[in-house]
Amino acid sequence: MLTWLFNADQKRRKLLAQAPDGPLRDFLATEFPDRKSPISKVPLLAMDFETTGLDAKQDHLLSVGHVELLDGGIILGSARHQIIHSDQEIRDENISIHRITHDQVANGISLGKAVESILKQLAGKVLLAHHAKVEIGFLQQACKHLYGMAPVLPAIDTMQIARKRMDRLQQPYKANELRLFNLRKQYGLPAYQAHNALMDAIATAELFLAQLAHGNYHKSPPLKNFLLGA
Amino acid sequence: MEIELQEIRDFIAAIPPFDRLPEDVLDGITQALRIQYVRRGANVPGERGNKSMLHILRQGAIAMYSGKDNLIGMLGEGDICTSFCAADVMPDFYVRATEDTLLYSVPCDQLSGLVDNDESVLHFIRHSAAQRLKQAVARMQEQSSSNLLHTYAGDICRTPLITARPDNSIRECARLMSDKGVSSLVILEDAEPVGLVTDRDIRKRCVAQGLNVDTAVTEIMTRDIISLRASDSLFDALLVMTRNQVHHLPVFSDEGDIIGVITTTDIMRQEGVSAVHLTSTIRKAESLDELVEASRMLPRIQLQLVNMGADLHHLGYAITAISGAITRRLIEMAEEKLGPPPVPYAWIAAGSQARREQTSHSDQDNGIIISDKMQPGDDAWFESLAHFVNDGLNACGFVYCPGDVMASNPKWRQPASVWQEYFDQWIEEPEPMALMLSSIFFDLRVIHGKEKLLKKIRKKVLHKAPNNQLFLAHMTRNALGHRPPLGFFRDFVLVHDGQHDETLDLKHSGLVPIIDMARIYALAEGLSAVSTEDRLRAAAGTPSLSQGGSANLLDAFEFISNLRLEHQAAQIEAGDSPDNFMSPKQLSKLEREHLKDAFKVVQTMQATLEMRYQTGRI
Repeated sequence: MLTWLFNADQKRRKLLAQAPDGPLRDFLATEFPDRKSPISKVPLLAMDFETTGLDAKQDHLLSVGHVELLDGGIILGSARHQIIHSDQEIRDENISIHRITHDQVANGISLGKAVESILKQLAGKVLLAHHAKVEIGFLQQACKHLYGMAPVLPAIDTMQIARKRMDRLQQPYKANELRLFNLRKQYGLPAYQAHNALMDAIATAELFLAQLAHGNYHKSPPLKNFLLGA
Repeated sequence: MEIELQEIRDFIAAIPPFDRLPEDVLDGITQALRIQYVRRGANVPGERGNKSMLHILRQGAIAMYSGKDNLIGMLGEGDICTSFCAADVMPDFYVRATEDTLLYSVPCDQLSGLVDNDESVLHFIRHSAAQRLKQAVARMQEQSSSNLLHTYAGDICRTPLITARPDNSIRECARLMSDKGVSSLVILEDAEPVGLVTDRDIRKRCVAQGLNVDTAVTEIMTRDIISLRASDSLFDALLVMTRNQVHHLPVFSDEGDIIGVITTTDIMRQEGVSAVHLTSTIRKAESLDELVEASRMLPRIQLQLVNMGADLHHLGYAITAISGAITRRLIEMAEEKLGPPPVPYAWIAAGSQARREQTSHSDQDNGIIISDKMQPGDDAWFESLAHFVNDGLNACGFVYCPGDVMASNPKWRQPASVWQEYFDQWIEEPEPMALMLSSIFFDLRVIHGKEKLLKKIRKKVLHKAPNNQLFLAHMTRNALGHRPPLGFFRDFVLVHDGQHDETLDLKHSGLVPIIDMARIYALAEGLSAVSTEDRLRAAAGTPSLSQGGSANLLDAFEFISNLRLEHQAAQIEAGDSPDNFMSPKQLSKLEREHLKDAFKVVQTMQATLEMRYQTGRI
């Protein structure tokens, strides 16, 4: 039986052959973590994007935050936050939601630089996000725009883990309950006041640690059990 | 550090002692953090050696154990678990999450490197409870001596200025000094100070040299006057005196006029000025009403002394001086009424009054040792005396002893030979219950009457006690009845078995265990010291108590008693009657940490004592 990741790794090698020299090629040249590795030993990169909307084709990236997880801990020293430059006029509602000012956006780094740094960090790691569809979609769209092709991205989605758990327990739930804030509350995690891409990435990473701790595993399960689409 | 991490940094920055650290160090610590989640019931990771971690609790709760199920502490949100960093971490120590817990963890080595410049944070991370406590007490003392910084020479120097002329003889000067009750004179010529003569000058430069006392004072006066300005603080005065080895300093106003002289004694007395004044009021009191009126000043005086930075040693001395004066005045009044005593006697104080550790709200404990020459029928006189004094003390605010340890109780109003039998029985045939009630009698002091009556008894007690292991073992077992709490958990006091109390009893769970241990050390070594601090000092370095153990207990005693004094001062200020109960909510995070260290010191010493006398076997 061919799993998604098996295809993903095949696909990575295929894409590597076609990829232009540069950040994307470097990313694809690094092997994905072994899907049989225990999850505690897999390097993860928790990531959150703030965007002007949910449509990766039309909306664009405002900021990126990410932090590494290793050996069951979040390494705060690896935390990074970037605001991305845009010439486009930002709608006022985005300013109020994300508390990113026009000036900050004007002074941000270019999308190219931001994606280059993300790919460098992500190489050899698995992406971890809450409602990962957004992060995957925007990152792939940006790559298409920058390099003419989108990479394959092995990812873990904390929202999907929560949904699966509730489905398994045959527990009815409202969409609202799957939001990061509400899930964190269930696990007794603190309510962080700040909502920037970095604190949300950290919040997601903490949620994942809590989900793992509450899985009551005798030993650390393999990566494949958590991968999105697996 | 990414500015977006500010929320995490702010959380750490609010927790003492990290709140002392500068921003760049806090940034560094934030960068070094590892966030971990521990499920309820799981062990908190704590590898030893260079991989050991300090944990800051962001959410949840943990319990610390030494050995199987021996709970030694609990921590909640905002608490810091330094145990794995400490130099003295026990091999069977472990930590378990009692709630789902989110930890901010940082390697101890890395943290030590980051806070390298801050001694006190370094101590917090690396050192034992005793070492941290020592530092806290040192800092407290530093702060309390600073009241000398806020009192000025011009405010306390003696006025009016007593002066003499250069042509006065030494004899005239000495007479003037005696008449005015001063120890120095300023010699003025045309209203200008030209010299200073002191008691010591007369002794060393005149009497000891055989100089004729009719010689002019100018022969022996000090011409180079070292002086102070009125606006100099007492701290300045102390420094000038210490540096120049002088005891008298003339004080000049800012306009340059000499206004008075300040002496070392003046500075030392600063803290007890009103206590001294009250004692003389008491001595002159003509009626019980006047005594009661004077006693009303007591809480105020306690407040004033504490605000001036007095510690238990000073305060206990001052309050005990006052309660002693009240007792003596009452006895005098009784004797005026009853006529002279039929036989000699000693009025004795027991407990805190004997140890000079009273505060304004202490109750009374006393008795009478009557001469063995006592005849049948003599007791009526002593009974009347006892009732008069006990009632009087009660009216003055030293309420009746709830355990009836008072001279009005016939049991504690006995001839010396009966007292001696009491002690012999307590020591030679110890019974736990009897000893529990009598431990107070191992702290005794004569307030009025024949010192000798107590002296003889004490001599025998101190001779017998060290050789009676069973007596010491029973005393120890009783002393271990009061144990300090483990620490604090959220807004509760954490006592044994993980139970919580709403309030902390500073007296019974803090001071009493130390007082009890000090008594045992003194009895075991046959030491005559009575106050807790004197006993701990005297017993230091004996087989009963190491030098280090003594120093640690002294620190713990000082810290807890000062906290109690501050607590009571706040109550007096608010118009409430002072007590020993504090809610953990009233304690700052830092005070909790220091208290916890003090408790730990007491626990350690209790365990040592328990082992020494094998109290489990009796």
